[in-house]
Amino acid sequence: MAEEGIDVLVVAGNPWRSDYLRFAADITPVEGHAFAFIGREAPARIIVESPAEAARLRSEQAELDVRWSLSAIEETETAIRELGKRRIAIAPLAAVPYRLAMGPLVASIGSATALLDRLMLRKSPSEIAAFRRAAVLADEGYTVFREAARVGRPEYALVAEVEAFFRSRGCPENFQILGSGGREVRGMHPPTERRLAPGDLVTTELTPCVDGYYAQICRTLVLGEPSEAQQRAYAVYDEALTAGIAAVRPGATAGDVARAQNEIFRRHGLGDYVTSEYTRVRGHGLGLYVDGRPALLEDVDLNLEPDMTLIVHPNTYHPEVGYFVHGDSVRVISDGCEVLTRTPRRLFSVPLA
Amino acid sequence: MRRGLISWSRDEVPPSVLEGRVARLQEQMRNADLGAMLIYTSFARPSAVAWLTHFVPYWNEALLVVFPIGAPVLLAAFSKRVHDWIRSVSHVGEVRSAPDLGRAAAAFLKERPPQPSRVGVLELDALPWSVAEPLVKSEYGRGLVDATGLFAAIRQPADEVEIRLARRAATIAVQAFKTIPREAKRASELLSVLERSARLDGAEEVLPRLAPDLRANATLRRLEGDALLGERYAVELSVAYKATWVRVARCLSNGPAPQSWRRAAAWFSQAAGCLNETTLALGLAPASGPPPGKLDAWTLEACLGSPPLSVAACDEAPARPALPAGSLTTLSLRLGLEDGPWLGSGTLIVGAGGQPARQLL
Repeated sequence: MAEEGIDVLVVAGNPWRSDYLRFAADITPVEGHAFAFIGREAPARIIVESPAEAARLRSEQAELDVRWSLSAIEETETAIRELGKRRIAIAPLAAVPYRLAMGPLVASIGSATALLDRLMLRKSPSEIAAFRRAAVLADEGYTVFREAARVGRPEYALVAEVEAFFRSRGCPENFQILGSGGREVRGMHPPTERRLAPGDLVTTELTPCVDGYYAQICRTLVLGEPSEAQQRAYAVYDEALTAGIAAVRPGATAGDVARAQNEIFRRHGLGDYVTSEYTRVRGHGLGLYVDGRPALLEDVDLNLEPDMTLIVHPNTYHPEVGYFVHGDSVRVISDGCEVLTRTPRRLFSVPLA
Repeated sequence: MRRGLISWSRDEVPPSVLEGRVARLQEQMRNADLGAMLIYTSFARPSAVAWLTHFVPYWNEALLVVFPIGAPVLLAAFSKRVHDWIRSVSHVGEVRSAPDLGRAAAAFLKERPPQPSRVGVLELDALPWSVAEPLVKSEYGRGLVDATGLFAAIRQPADEVEIRLARRAATIAVQAFKTIPREAKRASELLSVLERSARLDGAEEVLPRLAPDLRANATLRRLEGDALLGERYAVELSVAYKATWVRVARCLSNGPAPQSWRRAAAWFSQAAGCLNETTLALGLAPASGPPPGKLDAWTLEACLGSPPLSVAACDEAPARPALPAGSLTTLSLRLGLEDGPWLGSGTLIVGAGGQPARQLL
């Protein structure tokens, strides 16, 4: 802030975009809007939308000055005005509300968001430690998922078992989507009532959160013995994941990592399936947000640096077997990357009986 | 993020009910000379779009565009591959891919110019700038008007479909409380069984908050990590079922429940029962006689816009514009009893003038 000439940084957030608030003030809103006033020295001042949220945040951090208002945005606007001629900036773009952006601070949104983005990209040792713990939990969670995946169970029961496990380990948050079935499955989604059937591919992206930091694992299992087509498909995804991880090193770009994965698909005649018609990204940043920067796409030229944390996942549709996922969380280190999720890379098979 | 069951049963929520809600909104729009209405949704603010279309985003964001006639159009910042899933769980006329939501909305309005050109936005003040900026800069920027009041005017009272969903959500919460092991020593033990039970019963989401040791601190907290449970503790479960949210709070004890809690629960029921459209403006206690101990705090919440529950009245702030009879609400309160604090929450339907409120369970 001092380097950028900012006296007070106003950080906006909500349960969907809580990452910037967690980084700047170590708070996680559960409901409603929240705004943190970050000075260069004083503890943060917080404005939230309900008395329950205010009481909770005061209880979590006694030094915070927390107020609540039915009109939290209006209250924040007033508080900004009361700061007078101090140099104020507001961020992030994704959470600053219209009313505050329509005022004099609009010009600051871009640069203040970029400032926070830069700070959040490379992780400190304590952030890495939290990420590491989340990766351990992701591995353990996948074991629970595998044990829960049985013929006849509805998809949502699998998530219930995983969530119960995470809560038993003190984990309050998880991003998880899944898919089950065959060639007709084009992606993952929240769990449905569909019951698992013999021969299904069951995919999941599982992302527990520890001290605010998300780590992710992607794996695919088969109910019963894998078919030859499923095994052939797995070999391609495993080769792509290996190539992607090998490309992660300081100086490489996010695009390089995506390209390394996509080249494998192209080599196997599956180039159509790495386009946006069939897949979104080949991985992405991880940290306080579940889908952080950088997106691993061939046209993203952001350079990787040590202590960035990523998931590398060549997840996409396969024309013979359906949607398939395979991915690991990594930390960029000086000569490559450290893979933090340790679940074996294989096409898991769950016995039918 | 939402990670529980998201599905649409046409028996539970018939398309005709959703169409009826949209028609009521369209009638208001025509009366207000709005050529279109934009309603933002994310999993943090899903309720307005869910009420109209049954769509709840598990992550990411979307904008619902409602014209004065015809079915709503959903501009969704999800990849196209998810559109089939979106169509399977919601009732909209069209789903369009909109990775850059604000730009897509501006382009869509250009393609289908609203007549008249005034565009209402639910909770305009709160619209994320990433979405709002391209709209503000478009030819419709000057025509954007806040339509929060317009939407709130039709949002309550709740219809029977919504009340049934709320009852199911409350039942899920009550069933989950029954699974808490009496000998639980740590917060993680009880949060684990609550989560499992609620999600196996079909909860779309469950947000637990906990006061692990009531005698030390009665504040309900979101736990990261673990905590030892005191002899007395309190749990609040906010449960969503098919986009309808309720809160249920219970005080629990490792030993027999104290007599004082029974008196507190009885007063809670009495106070809740007294809430009707006329008494709401007067607050909670006057209508229901003196509480056992001190009424430390109370909050009445309802769904009025995009947040699942918003404060409609509480001890610390004047009531918002009156809720009509039949509104679906959640009452939460904290009593300071002689032997310590007591917390309770429950869902109720506000009574007509002079008539008692109806508690869901």
